Amino acid sequence: MPELPGNTAISPATLKRLKNELMGLMMANIKGITAFPESDNMLSWIGSIEGAAETVYSGLKYKIKIKFSNDFPITAPTIVFTTPIYHPNVDKQGNICLDILKEEWSAVYNVQTILLSLQSLLGEPNPASPLNVDAAKLWENQEAYKTALLEHYNQNSD
Amino acid sequence: MKITLKQYNGVATWRWNTETEDICGICRLEFDACCPQCLFPGETCPIVEGTCGHIFHKHCIEKWSNSDKNNKSCPMDRLPWTLVKKP
Ligand SMILES: [Zn+2]
Ligand SMILES: [Zn+2]
Ligand SMILES: [Zn+2]
Repeated sequence: MPELPGNTAISPATLKRLKNELMGLMMANIKGITAFPESDNMLSWIGSIEGAAETVYSGLKYKIKIKFSNDFPITAPTIVFTTPIYHPNVDKQGNICLDILKEEWSAVYNVQTILLSLQSLLGEPNPASPLNVDAAKLWENQEAYKTALLEHYNQNSD
Repeated sequence: MKITLKQYNGVATWRWNTETEDICGICRLEFDACCPQCLFPGETCPIVEGTCGHIFHKHCIEKWSNSDKNNKSCPMDRLPWTLVKKP
């Protein structure tokens, strides 16, 4: 495979590992999660996460952006939601509060484990560390939460 | 019938003596291949075992342990990473 011009700044180890990640994701083909390089730059990916069945997020689809650093997997990638999302652990800019992307990061995690963790975070928020206080408060009342969620979703998704 | 051995081509395969896993969890490459930083597998790119039982390429676990974000724990189980002392 010829090296793409956008990848000149990537360390060979990171590039190898990211190609490996992409292959793994394509082979696994898991329902509800996608991720692939945005352009010829392997450090920048886009993807999507669909809420799991039997959660209030069921059927809702959100786009994400994944930025890998040059020493991935030693450091965690940065992930933001690019579709605005109403969720206790995501702020208005799409920043996510998830321990495995911060202090609990491990070099053995892969894109697949991260996306699946994000998918389960949708249906099981952690109200103890909210970035969206209103959503965290409303979570107690699932009926009202779903109404607010769907309203927000319909306003923001394309 | 008598056979005279005229030529012998030695072909040997080798592998690291690992019991459980075949790939390094950090780089996701096989132990029989070297870590992504090295060009050739073998003695120059050894694999190491921790007291928790997990194995990694020496170069991969060193990179992880030397990053300042963690306190030298095994990336698999977060137990303190200490090398098994080989007798
Ligand atoms: Zn390795
Ligand atoms: Zn090596
Ligand atoms: Zn371990």
